[in-house]
Amino acid sequence: MSFEMWAEKYRPKTLDDMVDQKEIVERLKSFVKSRNVPHCIFAGPPGTGKTTAALCLARDLYGDVYREHLMELNASDERGINVVRETVKTFARARSIGEIPFKIMILDESDNMTADAQQALRRTMERYTETCRFILCANYSGKIIEPIQSRCAPFRFTFLPREEQDKYLKCIAEKENVKLSKEGLDAIFEVCGGDLRKAINTLQAAASLNKLVDQKVVYSIAGRANPADVQKMIETAINGDFLEARKQLRDMIQKYGVAGSDIIRQIHTEIFRAEIPEPWKIKLAAIVGEIDYRLVEGADEEVQLSALLARLVEAGSEIGKKN
Amino acid sequence: MYTTWTLKYKPKSLAEVVGNKEAIEKFGEWVKSWEKGTPKKRAAFLYGPPGVGKTVTVEAFANDFKMELVEKNASDYRTEDAVKRFAGLASQFGSLFGGKRIVLLDELDGLTGTADRGGVKAITEIVKTAQCPVVLIANNVYDPRFTNLRVFCLLIEFKKPPAGEVAKHLKRICSLEGIQADENALKFIAQRSEGDIRSAINDLQALAQGKKRLTYEDVSWLGYRDRQDTIFNVLRMILYGKTCVGAKQAADMADVDVDMLFEWIYENAPAHLTDPHDLAKAMDALSMADVYRGRIRLTQDWSFMRYVIDYLTAGVAMARQNTKIHGWIPFKFPERIQMLSRSKAERATQLNIGYKIKRKCHISAVRATKEVLPYLRIIFKNNAEMAAGLAKWLDLDQEMIESLVGNKEKAEAITRLLS
Repeated sequence: MSFEMWAEKYRPKTLDDMVDQKEIVERLKSFVKSRNVPHCIFAGPPGTGKTTAALCLARDLYGDVYREHLMELNASDERGINVVRETVKTFARARSIGEIPFKIMILDESDNMTADAQQALRRTMERYTETCRFILCANYSGKIIEPIQSRCAPFRFTFLPREEQDKYLKCIAEKENVKLSKEGLDAIFEVCGGDLRKAINTLQAAASLNKLVDQKVVYSIAGRANPADVQKMIETAINGDFLEARKQLRDMIQKYGVAGSDIIRQIHTEIFRAEIPEPWKIKLAAIVGEIDYRLVEGADEEVQLSALLARLVEAGSEIGKKN
Repeated sequence: MYTTWTLKYKPKSLAEVVGNKEAIEKFGEWVKSWEKGTPKKRAAFLYGPPGVGKTVTVEAFANDFKMELVEKNASDYRTEDAVKRFAGLASQFGSLFGGKRIVLLDELDGLTGTADRGGVKAITEIVKTAQCPVVLIANNVYDPRFTNLRVFCLLIEFKKPPAGEVAKHLKRICSLEGIQADENALKFIAQRSEGDIRSAINDLQALAQGKKRLTYEDVSWLGYRDRQDTIFNVLRMILYGKTCVGAKQAADMADVDVDMLFEWIYENAPAHLTDPHDLAKAMDALSMADVYRGRIRLTQDWSFMRYVIDYLTAGVAMARQNTKIHGWIPFKFPERIQMLSRSKAERATQLNIGYKIKRKCHISAVRATKEVLPYLRIIFKNNAEMAAGLAKWLDLDQEMIESLVGNKEKAEAITRLLS
């Protein structure tokens, strides 16, 4: 019996395997051909192939022994300045053995690095360019300091188009002996957008329930995998029960560890779907925007989001009066 | 204008400091010994319970002898680096303008384990090489963290002054405020404070300000100081406060720190401000208080704390416009804090699973817990065979499997498949 996470099992191994991001892949291939890679920033939303592209590039460059010339660090877990000072520097300055004189360091989720760490990184990048090239993966390149940005070749990853994602999912389903219906595919796309990792995880979880993956299974997975039932929380608030809404929020954050930024993004989407008078939607969107900004500045996600819930309660009471 | 009496009547001179004559004398001799060259102990460690006049003594002394006082306290950031930057100041006796200098490091109890890492070590270094009097203040000098530091210091104990002396001090304040106070009323306040002069003055102000006369009846209804009771009074002053000043005053009375006070208000405001507009305003004030906490964290500039207090107290108090007061609503202990500690172990296991995923899936542990874990949970609950395979692939232990399945028997079934 052998099972893996499918998202890993079917991760492309070489640049040739990569679906989509065509222009980026072409440029990366030219790096392989010339056997030279600049420092790079791979920016783009989750599940669009940033890490994969970096790994494929390394494999194409060094062959099967690529692991020896590669280091992967994840800024979300190791984001302090000490990591840059110690781990990164030690790796970067050691010379590489082999025909390619430099190694590759992948700094994943590097928009989570502290500003201090980024400053330290900037010097390291400069000093050890000959022995090490950096690939910084990030959701938002804006969170990376200017001096680093100016030292890197930028690559913008975009969500996979629908047909590419479908093709990929169908291929996995076939190999894993899972029936994937047309409606099932529609549902996965609706739930995951172009986030391929999420789509594959959804497919695998759905397949663990049922050999036939249809719309119904996908939605039930999405509902269960997504503890942030934001829609229900908004309804609770608009109906005037602040304490209950805050409790739901608290569960999302504390029990399930959902990030505040994810919750507010969903609130923003839900507000336009909610059954409230049209003019209110834009009023509420403005409030969401303000709280979103405070979320960045503030210290406590629950406090900020519950301030937003209180505004929803207020809006609910105003709407109620008008009717 | 409103000022707290603790500030207004803070002793300017040693003669005004209440009690602790011996300790003050010992301290004075030590500082003066610097005139004759560097003494053996370059630092004095003043210790004793809160509110007995440790800081005040140093300030009054500096004032009496026209010395420059350079002060750092818990509200400043005290990592090793931060302390070292400060160290230069202690390296010479004479200050810029020819006067003498005392360096004061206050509230050392407030050094926290991680944020101020290395702080005690750095302070010890300063003390060893100081060229001017360095004064350290803490409640508990025998805290194990200070073991090494203690060796280099002259220890001076400050004791609780007797109630009679505290009462005398209160009387002096009353006469300056033009309040005629009954002897036994002041004695009652003094006794209740258990030697904490600061809290005695705070109580006096809360009870007597604006009155012409303070009687025993005015104070006798108060029980002995009790944490719970105090925080309830503070909450009442904030959630039902009519003036900004009154609400802000409450923050001074609270004997919990600002973050804890924040939790109390955040927990209780919704039940007491039920009108939707009032609630939205109060929550907005809390949101802004929190924004300022974030700014403090970002800039490490603790002077922003005053705006946190403004929003937290006056901001919440001023939110009340429409809510009708009906009936008695009990105050509740912040549920969030209870929950945090309860779910801590669970979250630790989740993060450990995250690290297992990270090893295989090129994703951070933090993100894995958010993005991959929910799907694993579904698989583990529904498909034992796939679960067993994944458990093997990810190298999960029994505890992790159980956390994912949420059911002991099912988890054991998966483990059996594994072997």
